[in-house]
Amino acid sequence: MPDRSAPPAGAAGQYKPVSVLAGAPPWLEMRGITKVYPNGTRALENVDLRVAKGEIHGLLGENGAGKSTLMKILSGILPFTSGRILLGGREVSLRSTHDALAHGIGMVHQHFSLVPTFNALDNIILGRGASLASPDRAAARKRIQRLMEETGLHAPLDIPIEQLPVGTQQRIEILKTLDRNVDLLILDEPTAVLTPQETDQLFEVLNGLAARGTTIILITHKLREVLALTNAVTVLRSGRVVGSRLTEGATAQDLARMMVGTERLPEVKERRQHEKTEPVLRVAGLTVKGDGGQDAVKNVSFEINAGEIFAIAGVTGNGQSELIEALSGLRPIANGRAYLLGHSINGKGPRELYRMGLAHVPEDRHRLGMVAQFSVLENSILGVHHEPRFRRGLPGTLHWGKVRRYARDLVHRFQVVTPSLATPMRSLSGGNQQKLVVGRELAKSPSLIIAGQPTRGLDVGATAAIRDLLVDIRNEGKAVLLVSADLDEVLALADRVAVMYEGEILAILERHEFDRERIGLLMGGVHDGSAAG
Amino acid sequence: MLVQSLILAAIHAMVPLTVTATGEILSERAGVVNIGLEGILLISAFTAVIGAEAGGPLAGLMVGLLTGALLGLIHGIIAVYFRGDQTVSGVGLNILALGVVAIGIVDRWGAAGFHRVDRAFRVQPLSTPLGAMSPMVIVTILLAALTWYLLQHTNLGLKIQACGENPAAADAAGVRVERVRMFGAIYAGALTGLAGAYLSVDWLATITENLPAGRGFIALATVVFSRLNPWLAVVGGLIFGFFDALGLIASTSQELTRIIPYQFIQMMPYVVTLLVVAGVIGRFRSPSASGQAYRRE
Repeated sequence: MPDRSAPPAGAAGQYKPVSVLAGAPPWLEMRGITKVYPNGTRALENVDLRVAKGEIHGLLGENGAGKSTLMKILSGILPFTSGRILLGGREVSLRSTHDALAHGIGMVHQHFSLVPTFNALDNIILGRGASLASPDRAAARKRIQRLMEETGLHAPLDIPIEQLPVGTQQRIEILKTLDRNVDLLILDEPTAVLTPQETDQLFEVLNGLAARGTTIILITHKLREVLALTNAVTVLRSGRVVGSRLTEGATAQDLARMMVGTERLPEVKERRQHEKTEPVLRVAGLTVKGDGGQDAVKNVSFEINAGEIFAIAGVTGNGQSELIEALSGLRPIANGRAYLLGHSINGKGPRELYRMGLAHVPEDRHRLGMVAQFSVLENSILGVHHEPRFRRGLPGTLHWGKVRRYARDLVHRFQVVTPSLATPMRSLSGGNQQKLVVGRELAKSPSLIIAGQPTRGLDVGATAAIRDLLVDIRNEGKAVLLVSADLDEVLALADRVAVMYEGEILAILERHEFDRERIGLLMGGVHDGSAAG
Repeated sequence: MLVQSLILAAIHAMVPLTVTATGEILSERAGVVNIGLEGILLISAFTAVIGAEAGGPLAGLMVGLLTGALLGLIHGIIAVYFRGDQTVSGVGLNILALGVVAIGIVDRWGAAGFHRVDRAFRVQPLSTPLGAMSPMVIVTILLAALTWYLLQHTNLGLKIQACGENPAAADAAGVRVERVRMFGAIYAGALTGLAGAYLSVDWLATITENLPAGRGFIALATVVFSRLNPWLAVVGGLIFGFFDALGLIASTSQELTRIIPYQFIQMMPYVVTLLVVAGVIGRFRSPSASGQAYRRE
């Protein structure tokens, strides 16, 4: 491995990185990479990627486009089904992260891979050195301190990771990978948890590394970052390469169009016209903290009317989850107010909110929507099990006969395919699980239903069934708050769309204003075509 | 005189608990939990007798150790590569042992349920100021020291802890999680096997259908008590060993059994284990990913 101490920043500053598209010889080549998961999901289809030495290459795409999958293959974490990977013209076998690191390929993951109980120093030296030797912490500390000076990325080395804020963890993650002397540095959405200042600083560091010959692949959905940092960009959509192009001369619009495509809106059930009525949900200046204590939702305001599907579009992780958790009583509201039918919901728990007319189809179906080990019967009364209608006399008792009648009716009405009511929920297909969850929530006859990613991971038939149900209840005059990362779904179902980006609502569009390209730009953080920075 | 012999007995009772617990500590740190230690103790105790009768006490200890390592390997393969339920696999070992050894004793020695190990095939004690002491006591301390050093002062130790806390992070850092966890499983098996051999060809000098009599489970309690620190496993082994020894000595004392029925005295080690573990548990945080299979996709 080369010694990092040799060339300080600037010594090789004259080196001008160029892209393969500009005529540079390819150094990394991924040819015809196809990835099929054991369950049959085709995550990547014949993907080609060519990157020159010292290039900064952007990998752009929506959620589920396959960006992370492709890079996990390159960093040895995932096996691929077919295709070849060449490094410097020679085919390489990357069967583990160990192999990848041996070839100088390191990845900074989106979900940090740090051991929470270790401090930064131990995390950085983990996996290195002879097994039976003592870790040379003194030498490592010196080396890392020099690396911190060189890169401007500073982090405390002796505090357990779990006690550090996420921004600091991110810096440690990058330091850890840089300390491996990698030739190819892959970063998966590295700026997701960084402040704008930290982002600028990181970009400077990356430019410096590229100038010294490190090749960088940046996974992102932020158009601004692609334009600001990269030499060339490859756009993925649904596991296929849409195209590669030089960043020079590209506009945010070009990239957004490549990212979201230009298909026509899919057909859905007819939507009935309504008179405008008073708002069912009114959200005013809502701020919600994320798990790391940062502001995940920042001063958000909107109203949802009866007979309307109000959708929140955006790339996952921009505050949508925290927003619906706050509105459904699962996460405290840090600031601002929200009113359901005129009554404040601040500080109310899920059961009170249900009594006030709220139903919730959770985003994380398996964790929050059902108890997988419980039967269909038991799952069909989750959340309403305490009600007198299921009692046998005293409170706290259950009349299983009544429950069975109720569950049978639910299964029938929502066409849940299950061998029996006693079947454990986990044995059902995802689509049937979701139909039961949605049915259970709709049976609460709510005024507002919050649906988080209601069709994620479902097959075509189940997806259509769930979407029809949502339109049905809209037509019945109920309010629907739909959060979906699937732009097609949002465009097909919504009466209005709010686009969330980094915790803020950038714009709320009426149905006649729906425009893929514009929404794509907003999802990438670009306001009305003016690519900032 | 009684105090001295009680201390000596406690030290000897400490050996199987501490050696077993020490191995399991390393394994749990790496993320593999083996509740089949009782079964491994029993099977290794049995094979150790066969080994000792064929090649002397040292061969007996080695055969016990290798038997344990093999059983640890099997548990490891189920837990690590087949991602099986570690509890089920461990329980399986315990049940397997009961059957194998019961039949094995009859098959080998023609006697049902019991075989005495002749003095010639036993580990010879050292004479010390306290009295005759098994050299395995020293081995126990050395193993605790070795394990502690391995965990706290080597690169391998870091890898082991990372695999137990966050295998995905270890994987990303280039650690071969499966190999590290297999090492843990085999290490625990080997040490438990050695402890099993100590039971039969050294301390108790016999093999029966249920020789460990719950010591594998008390070793698990010792693991909890130790908070995965091998030195505390020595302390825990001494505490539990003391009551084990007290039970053994008191139940043969005529004066005492006249006042307290011997069944109550024999209950002591188990009751004490329960109380101590109930006191320690809850204040102890085990590695986050311990007992869980690691899956990349």
